[in-house]
Amino acid sequence: MLMCRDLAGIASDYIDGELTGRQNVSVKMHLMMCKDCRTFIGNLRASTNLMKAHSSGKPDEELMRRIDERVTEALLAWKENNGGE
Amino acid sequence: MDTAMHPDPQDSLIEDLKRGDSPAYKKAVREYSPGMLAVARFYLDPSSAEEIVQDCWVTVIDAIQKFEGRSGLKTWLHRIVANRCKNKLRSSNREVATDFSESLDPELADRFNAKGRWDLPPKLKFHESADTLMEKDALSDCLDKHLSVLPETQRSALMLYEAHQHKSEDVCNILDVSASNLRVLLHRARQKIFLMVETFQETGEC
Repeated sequence: MLMCRDLAGIASDYIDGELTGRQNVSVKMHLMMCKDCRTFIGNLRASTNLMKAHSSGKPDEELMRRIDERVTEALLAWKENNGGE
Repeated sequence: MDTAMHPDPQDSLIEDLKRGDSPAYKKAVREYSPGMLAVARFYLDPSSAEEIVQDCWVTVIDAIQKFEGRSGLKTWLHRIVANRCKNKLRSSNREVATDFSESLDPELADRFNAKGRWDLPPKLKFHESADTLMEKDALSDCLDKHLSVLPETQRSALMLYEAHQHKSEDVCNILDVSASNLRVLLHRARQKIFLMVETFQETGEC
């Protein structure tokens, strides 16, 4: 029988729909009987959605400026080599 | 739907990049560098990762002329970064060290008794939606803080899969991990975020 600890180990696979049909059924049956695991799955899902909503990292402006400088330089060279504009 | 009537904004960005348009590069650098950095940090230390991302943008100027759009621009850029990082690792004879053996976070594993039932079950339901939660600057800052201390491999997998919304197949390809190892990385990272939100909700502290 699937225990709470086993379920916690495969909870992400359940959320992402990556379990086999049989595993999926045993998780669903466990969840029907176990309030704590229902809360856990709900909270893990909320945490996952939180990551999705979180901006994918604010760009580091200092790094962006350095990249801009190198790209500008390289673009000038590229335009010269390609007949210029 | 007729695509000629609804041109994909990414197509016009790609055309602008092919022409060597400077504002288009500025825009693309801001949009795509955070993801490229997430890829590079999987393989390399922070300062080498930044260097690789800079170098990649320079190579993009020539390489994009041959870009045929078989994958999206984001995936293409991430693959360029990954290949460069892999070459760099190969030339220095190093490899990415990751532990894929245990899918349960140790802190969470301690909350079960010997029979495998919850000893310390989650007390509270995360009652608010992700959007409402994210409006709280304190939580967003806390999330950044916890993301920054995740092992690089877990963080990169999480960023690419959740924040940059790559398909599993693409993440495996870019990070050079098997599908089952990607599952372990994702699950380990999500448990850390879960534990963080739980503490935040219970105590209001990060």
